[in-house]
Amino acid sequence: MRPFQYLAPIPSFDYVAPRTLAELFEAFNGHGKGFAIIAGGTDLMVALKERAVAPEAVVDLCRLRGELGGIDVSKGVLRVGALATFSQIESDPLVRRYANALRQAAANVGTLQIRSIATLGGNLATASPAADSAPPLIALGASVTLLGRSGQRTLPVQSFFTGPKKNALLRGEIVSSVEIPAGEGVSSVWTRAAVRNENVLSTVSVAIAASIHDGRFGSSRVALGAVAPTPILAENSSRAMTGSEATAGQAERVAALAAEEARPISDIRASAHYRKHLVFVLTRRLILQMVSEAGIP
Amino acid sequence: MRKVRVSFTLNGLKKTDEVEPNQTLCDYLHDVAGTTSVKKGCDTGECGACTVLLDDMPVTSCLVLAPQVEGRDVVTVEGLGTKLVPNPVQQAFVEHDAVQCGYCIPGMIVTLSWVREHVPRASDAEIKRLMSGNLCRCTGYLQQIEALKAAIKG
Ligand SMILES: Cc1cc2nc3c(=O)[nH]c(=O)nc-3n(C[C@H](O)[C@H](O)[C@H](O)COP(=O)(O)OP(=O)(O)OC[C@H]3O[C@@H](n4cnc5c(N)ncnc54)[C@H](O)[C@@H]3O)c2cc1C
Ligand code: FES
Ligand code: FES
Repeated sequence: MRPFQYLAPIPSFDYVAPRTLAELFEAFNGHGKGFAIIAGGTDLMVALKERAVAPEAVVDLCRLRGELGGIDVSKGVLRVGALATFSQIESDPLVRRYANALRQAAANVGTLQIRSIATLGGNLATASPAADSAPPLIALGASVTLLGRSGQRTLPVQSFFTGPKKNALLRGEIVSSVEIPAGEGVSSVWTRAAVRNENVLSTVSVAIAASIHDGRFGSSRVALGAVAPTPILAENSSRAMTGSEATAGQAERVAALAAEEARPISDIRASAHYRKHLVFVLTRRLILQMVSEAGIP
Repeated sequence: MRKVRVSFTLNGLKKTDEVEPNQTLCDYLHDVAGTTSVKKGCDTGECGACTVLLDDMPVTSCLVLAPQVEGRDVVTVEGLGTKLVPNPVQQAFVEHDAVQCGYCIPGMIVTLSWVREHVPRASDAEIKRLMSGNLCRCTGYLQQIEALKAAIKG
């Protein structure tokens, strides 16, 4: 980052705000390699100011709220449109009911001002290893729908992330929505550790989705953020949790496996060693919380 | 590059203008539209000095492009109250000595007026969470929280 550049205006570009999907793909075509998509702009504007990108055209998705926005449930699937903002997600009753972990993460993104405009699609497309929406979606078994000129395809959220700041989008494709299985009886929780409470990237985040019947966990998924090149599904830990007794001893074992699966780096926020420790502590905390919320002594 | 024609509402008045595509809403409001209450601190969404209401949600205007206001409703602190008729949060800020240098204050008033209107039953912890996007390097926030609570009580 070279702060002096903030004094100079962002190098100029053409601004286009298509009104239909057909116009959108037309706009992509017309600008070859030189366009950038803007949704909420909370990542793109910073990238423009840092000169990390210098597009010929900025293509705004804001007029496509009808096609790419909204939150609804049908046929057992909770669909969250790419343009849903974190404020909308935070206060949506369907999200509260079927995807509590996502609601918790949304309420912790940035600040009120950021949540008012930052979108779910933008959070995924930026593909930060610390993207707060990712662990809840991965834990809930969500998939992401990508839309291009010649049709759409659907990927599990964990496969959408291909590396730090890298994703599965092809040039000219957009994220159109996220689909979350809306199962009754599945509860999901999220927590994180960060250097302060508000307006800071997560040092480590953990989300777990599971059902509990007769003192045992049903199908369970543990997902981790900011401890690998991408957000990850902790497979061994998830397998160990599935079908196990909902007890403090099991929480310890599942959390230890999650910490083993984490492949963190050291950076300004924490050392790799401390991050692994945090994965253990946060995973155990979430499982104990689920056990106590299920009323198991 | 080509200027962009936008029609939007600024502080309740309809406005049409030609804006630079690469100008932020913050710079446009401060330098072009004459709403000089909108301050630039960090220019990266961290400090909240540039907070305005966009369709009745607080946003950091330094992260919005001017052309993005097409068809939308923008309110700055100028639209929330005047010297003669301050809004309840502005009046309470005066009574609680909640202002020191003043740089953060327009953004702070925009956020807290929104909290007063939309989350009037917010707990202290919730108030702190909602105002965490407005940094104040002078006051230590306590007077501002007291002022908000007084304004909510009315
Ligand atoms: C002060 C501040 C605090 C922040 N705090 C957090 C935090 O706590 N947690 C966190 O996870 N993030 C945080 N962020 C990062 C950012 O706010 C989020 O990643 C946000 O969700 C991005 O969404 P957006 O709509 O603003 O994206 P934009 O900036 O509009 O776009 C981001 C990127 O995705 C592309 N894009 C956007 N939408 C689509 C789409 N539908 N299809 C294809 N490509 C698309 C854009 O081209 C761009 O490359 C913070 C940012 C700031 C400035
Ligand atoms: S100037 Fe916009 S948040 Fe600091
Ligand atoms: S009064 Fe000086 S920054 Fe808030």
